[in-house]
Amino acid sequence: MSQDQSEILKRALTREKAARKAAEKILEEKSRELYFTSQRLEQLLDEKSSQLQGVFENIADAYVVMDLQGNVIKFNEAATKLFGYDVSIDKVNVTNLIYKEDYQYAMTSFYELYTKGFFKGYEARVYTKSKEVKWVHINASVIYDKDKKPVAAQGIVRDITNQKISEEKLIESENRLASLVVNLDSGVILEDENRKIVLTNNKFCELFGLKASPKDLIGLDCKAASEQNKILFKDPDGFLKQMRAIDEAKKEVLGDELEMVDGKILERNYTPIVLGQKSKGYLWTFKDVTLNRTYRKSLEAQKQKYYSIIANMNLGLVEVNNQDEILMVNQSFEQLSGYTEKELKGKNAGEIFSAETGSEIIKEENKKRQKGLSNSYEIKAKNKSGEIRYWLISGAPNYNLEGEVVGSIGIHLDITEIKNLELQKEKLLAKLEKSNDELQEYAHIVSHDLKSPLRSIYALVSWLKEDNQGKLDDVSLQNFALIESTLEKMEQLITDVLNYSSVGADNTAKSEVNLNTMVSELISMLYIPDHIHIKSLNTLPNINGDKTKLQQLFQNLISNAVKFIDKTEGHIIIDVEDLKSHYKFSIKDNGIGIDKKFHDKIFKIFHALNKSKDSTGIGLSIVKKIVNLHEGEIWLDSQPTVGTTFYFTLKK
Amino acid sequence: MIKKLKILLIEDDMIEIMKLNRTISTLKLDHTIIEANNGEVALQILEKKDNLPDIILLDLNMPKINGIEFLKILKNDDVLKYIPTIILTTSNNQKDLLECYKIGVAGYVIKPLKYEDYVIKIERLLAYWSINELIVV
Repeated sequence: MSQDQSEILKRALTREKAARKAAEKILEEKSRELYFTSQRLEQLLDEKSSQLQGVFENIADAYVVMDLQGNVIKFNEAATKLFGYDVSIDKVNVTNLIYKEDYQYAMTSFYELYTKGFFKGYEARVYTKSKEVKWVHINASVIYDKDKKPVAAQGIVRDITNQKISEEKLIESENRLASLVVNLDSGVILEDENRKIVLTNNKFCELFGLKASPKDLIGLDCKAASEQNKILFKDPDGFLKQMRAIDEAKKEVLGDELEMVDGKILERNYTPIVLGQKSKGYLWTFKDVTLNRTYRKSLEAQKQKYYSIIANMNLGLVEVNNQDEILMVNQSFEQLSGYTEKELKGKNAGEIFSAETGSEIIKEENKKRQKGLSNSYEIKAKNKSGEIRYWLISGAPNYNLEGEVVGSIGIHLDITEIKNLELQKEKLLAKLEKSNDELQEYAHIVSHDLKSPLRSIYALVSWLKEDNQGKLDDVSLQNFALIESTLEKMEQLITDVLNYSSVGADNTAKSEVNLNTMVSELISMLYIPDHIHIKSLNTLPNINGDKTKLQQLFQNLISNAVKFIDKTEGHIIIDVEDLKSHYKFSIKDNGIGIDKKFHDKIFKIFHALNKSKDSTGIGLSIVKKIVNLHEGEIWLDSQPTVGTTFYFTLKK
Repeated sequence: MIKKLKILLIEDDMIEIMKLNRTISTLKLDHTIIEANNGEVALQILEKKDNLPDIILLDLNMPKINGIEFLKILKNDDVLKYIPTIILTTSNNQKDLLECYKIGVAGYVIKPLKYEDYVIKIERLLAYWSINELIVV
């Protein structure tokens, strides 16, 4: 090796040595620097973590750390308070805290946490230790170790129970309000400051005849709409003008009335809505008050009508309270009583007009009315001039709005004239009855007085015959016989007249009469020649009537039939037919018959067709009278030489 | 035994009195007839209590006191009320008939028109009363 070479090498070595030395120095410096840095960093980290620790420990919200199986590792103070568990004692797994209905949602959120590393804004219900249900809001994230391996999860839990409840309440009341507005009986329209519709309801659409639904109207311009709708009102320009004025003034207007073309009357209210200092819009409400208005009007008319009826009616009207003090009388009553309303007000109605029993009756009737009974009665009253008048009073209790009897109202009709007529009628009737009786009595006396001489003449004739027996010639004896038969006819005539006057005179009470028994008894009593046969086709009914007279009726008709049968074989047939309210009887004979032209005449008194010894012409008049007394009629069917049928009806 | 009756006939009609008298004589009956033309006369006769009639035949239609009034007076008298009184009249007024029986009569006979019938009725009437026991005062 050469010097040079070794020199070069030496020098190079020295250079190298120096360089290394310098590098070593730099390194040493750097490493010292690094040391310091790391020293400072560590300090910083410590600071940070203790700072963080403090944050988590002290934040108002709950802070939870759990392992990946959901076992809670750590609860901060707020979490302990929220869930009620003390993790240093209780073993808590978060899955047990989940409210059962929210389980699915919770699982989805956990999955999100593990895959994405976090979740935010989880809101669900949880159970606390005391099984209380609470609404919570959770933000959570996964904690990794230095090898980026997940080791745990942490979350911030906020109790939002109260918030949730008030939110629900708000929604509920909003819904309620909305449905209230929609279904309100008033038309409502809420507009914003720019007169755009914010809210309206069904009634509004109905009142204005809009086919759209309330929802469709939202956002429409009110100003334009009102201009379209003005034609609905009787005074369209007035409606617009008024609306504009209100809109400009922006002051509350209540109770405006608008008349619509179709006769409806709307009440319009305008209310500006101000929140704080800021205008939030304007509320218009419209209400259909047509019924109220017309009701009030018709009520007024009705009242007027009744008032004028009461004032002008021809009946006296008096209103009294429960103490019978007069509160009101109408004009007719003033005329009726002679007193003015002024004189009567406050007076006792029963006493002021009292006449004999009048006030007693009024008291009695008032008592009944207090019980709510309506009644009508007659009283004798004294008017102002002391005259006695008869009043017909129709009274009814008067009620107040609570339905209590507060008095009564009486309608008075002066029936003095009618009453007088009635009394007069009663007197006349009594008089008539008396004179009828007297007449009856008179008829008997007359008949007695007429019959007595007949008896005397008869006796005298008999004595003449007796005393001159054998001395009288045939003509004289014949004449004596004629005197006797004339006397007999006279006697019969008087008897019949008396009977005729008796029918209808004495009003013997009617009773149930068995005609069947009566007629068969009658037939056995009467003289019926052997060649005449009497037959009843049906059982005769019972009749409500006068037995003696009914007997006379059948007797007269049957003996008439017997009397006028001229055939060698006589038949009398009695029959009956049931009509609704009457019975129709018939008595048929095969006698001489009666010519048609006499059919009416024979029922008239003294119209005997056959002047004979035993026919006075009164019998059928009596028959007709008896039939009429029993509300029936009599007629006949006859053919001369063939026979006659008498028909008559008697009321059941 | 057939009694001889003392008969008081109260009758205002002369011929009626004749009729009764003739009837009794025709029938040859042995009765005594006392005549009274009206109620007043009859009452005077009845005052003699020792000579009272056995029966009374009374007409209803009479002047002054009529038959019914007379009957009432009779029935109010303690003694006279026992004398059988038979009404003999032309009136068949139901009211009279009822009234008479109500007050108390022993019979009510209607005078028939025919004299022969009258004789028959009177004969039977007197025959009936002549076999009756009567109160003798």
